[in-house]
Amino acid sequence: MSQPTTVTPATDPTIKSPLVRIEHLVKHFPTGGAFGRAVVHAVDDVNLAIQKGETLGLVGESGCGKSTLGRVIVQLQPATSGHVFFQDQDLTRLRGEKLRRIRQQVQMIFQDPYASLNPRMTVGDIVSEPLRNFRLARGKKAEQRVQEVMRVVGLNPGFVNRYPHEFSGGQRQRIGIARALVLNPTFMVADEPVSALDVSIQAQIVNLMEDLQEKFNLTYLFIAHELAVVRHISDRVAVMYLGKIVEIGPSAAIRDRPLHPYTKVLQSSVPVPDPDVEASRKPILLKGEIPSPVNPPPACRFHTRCPIAQKICSEVEPPLEMKESGRFAACHFAGQL
Amino acid sequence: MAALPQSLESSQEQLLEQDIADHVTLGQDAWRRLRRNRLAVIGLVIISVFIVSALISFVWTPYPTWRQALGPTYQGPTLAHPLGLDDYGRDILSRVMGGAAIALSVGVGASAIASFIGILLGLLAGFYRGKVDLVISTLINVSYGIPDLLIALVLVLLIGRGVGNIILAIAVTAWLGMARLVRGQTLSIREKEFVEAARTIGTPNAMILLRHILPNALGPIVVQATYLVPAAIIFEAFLSLLGMGIPPPAPSWGRMASEGYKALELAPHIVLMPCAALSLTVLAFNWVGDGLRDAIDPRMKR
Amino acid sequence: MSSGTVHAVDGISFDIDRGEIVGVVGESGSGKTMTALSLLRLVPEPGKISGRILFGEQDVLQMADDEIREFRGNEVAMIFQDPMTSLNPVLRVGFQVEEAMDAHRRFTRQQSRERVVPMLQRVRIPAAKERVKDFPHQFSGGMRQRAMIAMGVSNEPSLLIADEPTTALDVTVQASIIELLRDISRELRAAVILITHNMALVASLCNRVIVMYAGRIVEEGPTRAIFKNPQHPYTWSLLRSMPRVDEVAKERLISIKGVPPDLAKPPAGCKFHPRCRFRIDKCFTEEPPLGEVDPGQLARCWVLMKNIQDPESEAMR
Repeated sequence: MSQPTTVTPATDPTIKSPLVRIEHLVKHFPTGGAFGRAVVHAVDDVNLAIQKGETLGLVGESGCGKSTLGRVIVQLQPATSGHVFFQDQDLTRLRGEKLRRIRQQVQMIFQDPYASLNPRMTVGDIVSEPLRNFRLARGKKAEQRVQEVMRVVGLNPGFVNRYPHEFSGGQRQRIGIARALVLNPTFMVADEPVSALDVSIQAQIVNLMEDLQEKFNLTYLFIAHELAVVRHISDRVAVMYLGKIVEIGPSAAIRDRPLHPYTKVLQSSVPVPDPDVEASRKPILLKGEIPSPVNPPPACRFHTRCPIAQKICSEVEPPLEMKESGRFAACHFAGQL
Repeated sequence: MAALPQSLESSQEQLLEQDIADHVTLGQDAWRRLRRNRLAVIGLVIISVFIVSALISFVWTPYPTWRQALGPTYQGPTLAHPLGLDDYGRDILSRVMGGAAIALSVGVGASAIASFIGILLGLLAGFYRGKVDLVISTLINVSYGIPDLLIALVLVLLIGRGVGNIILAIAVTAWLGMARLVRGQTLSIREKEFVEAARTIGTPNAMILLRHILPNALGPIVVQATYLVPAAIIFEAFLSLLGMGIPPPAPSWGRMASEGYKALELAPHIVLMPCAALSLTVLAFNWVGDGLRDAIDPRMKR
Repeated sequence: MSSGTVHAVDGISFDIDRGEIVGVVGESGSGKTMTALSLLRLVPEPGKISGRILFGEQDVLQMADDEIREFRGNEVAMIFQDPMTSLNPVLRVGFQVEEAMDAHRRFTRQQSRERVVPMLQRVRIPAAKERVKDFPHQFSGGMRQRAMIAMGVSNEPSLLIADEPTTALDVTVQASIIELLRDISRELRAAVILITHNMALVASLCNRVIVMYAGRIVEEGPTRAIFKNPQHPYTWSLLRSMPRVDEVAKERLISIKGVPPDLAKPPAGCKFHPRCRFRIDKCFTEEPPLGEVDPGQLARCWVLMKNIQDPESEAMR
């Protein structure tokens, strides 16, 4: 369906030096007990490019496939089809030792700071494990590196011999970040890194991630369900609905003038901590529930709930095409809500 | 008041010393809970007594365990023979002490071997799933279908009845439960985020198994291994009762009971003493097992 | 470590009138849920409550067991965060709504049965007639929360306590549940206590705000005053620690350093002082009282934000 001449988000000309390029990525899960055969369309034909040094935000509601997309990108789960190019290497083709090697460059921060740390290992062991895996440092040198990284993420290096359960949620998330950082990676996928944290702690982690990006020239894919957090930290934002990316564009442009009706709906749904704004804000309420990814609606997947859907929306799938420079939307009536 | 650690580069968010919880490792925590469990402590004391008497029996027993005609046969407890004499006039106290050594080595030995096999196969099946799991699970399920006693008896007939062979025969039937347990644990732990995290930092599979999965399954494994000890002791006693256990004159508790059984009405103490020792040991291990279970995973308790 | 008394909630006083929506905001461990459970005398063992909880003329803490049971279902209703654990998975949704009414005898059996479908329609469950026969797992998260609300309001309570009612839900669903709560409170003329960690939600729904920290009320007042003119450093920082979806320029968030205190060994003086950027010597030793800073607005602080020049740059230091 894609001619070589069409511009997709993967070939976006405004992305001058892409670090990661995702082409036609698909992830389907078999599901359904006794009768089998059913397939969850978790990620369907995703095209994306991530500029070196930027933060690309990925938002969507639960079940839209954003976490799966993150996991497939770092190859925690194999892709059903499609490609993930990282510096021109196709990660989906790598196996065994070659895949293990690439992990020095591509790291991940997890959502749940309680589940993502091995409760039987000390903080020092957790943070130094990547060094041991790649035989990068031993003994004193490893110790020094661990302490340095702990300091950088705001952890007291005196706590190397403590266990994860002795730390609070925010501190554990710092440990997880230290583990990802110790190898000096270039690309990090952060899967809902602040969603499980208390409000006052979220800002600490967001600020830390911004500092680290500046200091170490990191590239982030920041996945979250809160539009406000994603918008805040990201240069560009991609919005996902039911396995598909429906809109991509610069953070500010998306705030001022969302092109896809779903983006508009999301934006209008988020309350703002300002009673004056709230007094006039009218959320656009969607009809019905999010359809099952096992049986996504035909053509435009949003047409069953879209406030401006027309007949064509249930017949022809709108491609995710460039509407303006650097802005993509998959909608026949982009910008009309 | 609350001096801030100085050398932090990210000055925006500093860690306060007081924010950290008290330093207690999970092991220490479990030990503290175990100590508060009265039955488990009693069990530990009983086991210690048996271990000590088993150790002593290697160098000294009141009388040699094999010496016959120390006094009138079937004699009840006296000052010289606190637990009495058996049908050959042997000292029962000495034989119970010697029996402790056999029971404990059979129990601990069989449990250790069974645990090793069970852990290894369970880890492999749970971690690699697919064909590996199919083969191992089939082996387990088929073995479950054959009575343990049959397997053990055939094995003993084939390889003989020495203590080592008996241990092996028991272990060959006892690993199944351990393998099932470890497989289940592995299946659930491998889905945990910290295992995924280990993969993203390039940890090789062998290290994922040893460093991340096994230590987190250790709690239930220790409990199961503890329960395996009394099970093996009973199994050995049962084999001896059938005359297929450790050959005479070794003082196995099961054999002592089976010999005394002929004169149960005349001299019940001959059966009673080894059986009491057996029951006490088995109970003690089960109490410790229960205690460990509650101590390691406090959530399981209510 | 495991023994001793934790003052999860300490010296809380507030009142609420019919038709009013009061927001109780705080982070986990701030005591906001305990406060709500105390109102219903539902504090888990071995917890103890002291003080007075007046409902009209009655003191909830003095009620006999059967009185409190009547009080819980008839006068007060509670809506929890996770509707899946509050609904019985093996009973049909309609039956559970009916049961909620039956249990409290405000209506006859017959009335209860007839009211089920209208109740579900009232909370805008589509095709309510058919869906009464569904089991909870056949409902989506948002629908389950609606069913919970239906159960809660079926006896027409005069006080509705909603504990993080939208936290488990997606934003688009959250928006519709908030609209529903707003309408229901208006229709019932009930007082609503909204317990949440989400300041933005409070701004959108509440007339009055109570900010809790470490088991205490640190600030309280009309919503507009609290958001436009917060006086406690905690409230002030919290509002600046969250990115806004309508944020224009990318500003650095003001984070609150450290973590909330362990209530088993709370710090001396003001409970917030270890994390406070504006503390003075007095804060280390003496706990400030909850004093009136403006008509209707109270704050528990020795410093108060209005006495600080250029707090933004002070906080960024």
